[in-house]
Amino acid sequence: MKLFDFLKQKIITIFLISFALATIEIFLLVYDIPMLFRLYIPISILIVYFVGIMIEYLRKKYFYNAVLNHLNELDKKFLLAEVIDDSNFIEGKILKSVLEETDKSMLEHVNIYKRLQEDYKDYIELWIHEIKLPIATSKMIIENNKSEVTKSIDEELDKIDNYTEQALFYARSNTVEKDYAIKKNSLEEIVDLAIKKNKNILISNRVKIELNHLDHIVYTDSKWCSFILSQIIQNSVKYSKGDEKTIQFYSRENKDNVILYIEDKGIGIKESEIVRVFDKGFTGSNGRVSDKKSTGIGLYLCKKLCEKLGLAIHISSEYNKYTIVEIVFPKGSYTQM
Amino acid sequence: MAKILIVEDDEKLRNELEIFLMKNGYEVGSLSKFDNTVKDILKISPSLILLDINLPFLDGEFVLKEIRKVSDVPIIMVTSRENEIDELLSLNYGADDYVTKPFNIQILLAKIATVLKRVNKGDISYNKIDCGNFTLNISKSVIEKDDKVIDLTKNELKILHFLVQKRGHIVSRDEIMEYLWDSSNFIDDNTLTVNVTRLRNKLEDINLKDIIETKRGQGYILK
Repeated sequence: MKLFDFLKQKIITIFLISFALATIEIFLLVYDIPMLFRLYIPISILIVYFVGIMIEYLRKKYFYNAVLNHLNELDKKFLLAEVIDDSNFIEGKILKSVLEETDKSMLEHVNIYKRLQEDYKDYIELWIHEIKLPIATSKMIIENNKSEVTKSIDEELDKIDNYTEQALFYARSNTVEKDYAIKKNSLEEIVDLAIKKNKNILISNRVKIELNHLDHIVYTDSKWCSFILSQIIQNSVKYSKGDEKTIQFYSRENKDNVILYIEDKGIGIKESEIVRVFDKGFTGSNGRVSDKKSTGIGLYLCKKLCEKLGLAIHISSEYNKYTIVEIVFPKGSYTQM
Repeated sequence: MAKILIVEDDEKLRNELEIFLMKNGYEVGSLSKFDNTVKDILKISPSLILLDINLPFLDGEFVLKEIRKVSDVPIIMVTSRENEIDELLSLNYGADDYVTKPFNIQILLAKIATVLKRVNKGDISYNKIDCGNFTLNISKSVIEKDDKVIDLTKNELKILHFLVQKRGHIVSRDEIMEYLWDSSNFIDDNTLTVNVTRLRNKLEDINLKDIIETKRGQGYILK
């Protein structure tokens, strides 16, 4: 708050006081009052007035500067009302109460959406829970009536199962609440679980699996993690090429992390597109090839779930040669409980 | 014969599970009313229970806790909620294992077998399968015929065991691979061919030549 700006606000009162002093001066002249008094009256009034507005200026400057500083420092600006000090002048008090009122109203508004979203997530979870039953029943019927036809239906059912799973994790990825459990897990078992879950597409596509150096302990939620791996495996199968299809899983332990690598010799990703593969809805030139049908959700979801679990995920590739996905499990002291 | 009790409220799934488990050599019972679940279960006294978590009237976790108060019968929990917290809870309440819907059929069978094996320790006959012209000893991983004993590798044992279970039926290469994958042997096509050839050679040593027949384009059949 600059002094000049502040005085500009006071221009009308300054003008009125000058006018009043001028008229007083005229009266004093008319009544022939001695010079000393004629000077004393307007000067004393002016001094008192300016001291008054200087005090007001300093007080307001102190208050508003504090408000602006808080505003700059806060990353959640709407919390401003909580941090500003009580002021002893009326505008400050009004400002604080206005902010408090608007905050309250905004919070109520946000809560409505929060509840709606929670509600929707609960519904999705329930729905997925329900849909698993007919899928399970269908799969049992197929198991009891094996033929070429049912085998083909079985593969389609696996796709349905994968898509429902994706929807479940999508719903979970969007909520603030924690619905995972970080546990001590063997990396080998997590990889194992993910491969078994996808054995049908892996076997029918004749994909060779190579596992190396996976005997490490990681701290994570095994269900979430094997879902992430499933997405990566499904991508590898989808974007494979040639007859010798191989997916390699290997890991390396560093001082403060364990890195899992998933490598395939598939069609790879173009250099210009690699930075965008984790973007929601990004399909790229690979995904638009007619028989691939990418949704642009899989890797986006992987990234999001990794962030929630505190893992890092990276991808590197050379077009037409290979793709390597890295998942980094941190080994910080907080994980070793 | 082991008797498995299915506690599942969806009738269709229950029936299919019954058929499937009966095909795989188990005696199967099931509940169709759930107003007195705990008492009904205890009356039947099965050797293993497949217990669905989501039941009418009382949920599966409650039933599990009630049963554990009076009985140590093996229980495998079945659920469609895939979440680690539920799994931990079930195991804490005393379940022996946990499977999620839709099940991986072979894994379900494997879990049932493992749990039963754990309970029936010392029952040696359980690990020996009499196959007519030879005996498959699973715990020792050997074929026994007359007084000859032939060692099998892990994969060979699995393949032969699977063929024995499906004896007289054509088994496709994919099915054998799936079976092996379910027990974490992620073998590829070539390895399977090599394993089957070796297995045949070993069988030939004990005069069981051509017992595994190749059906071109379909798979193998154990005669």
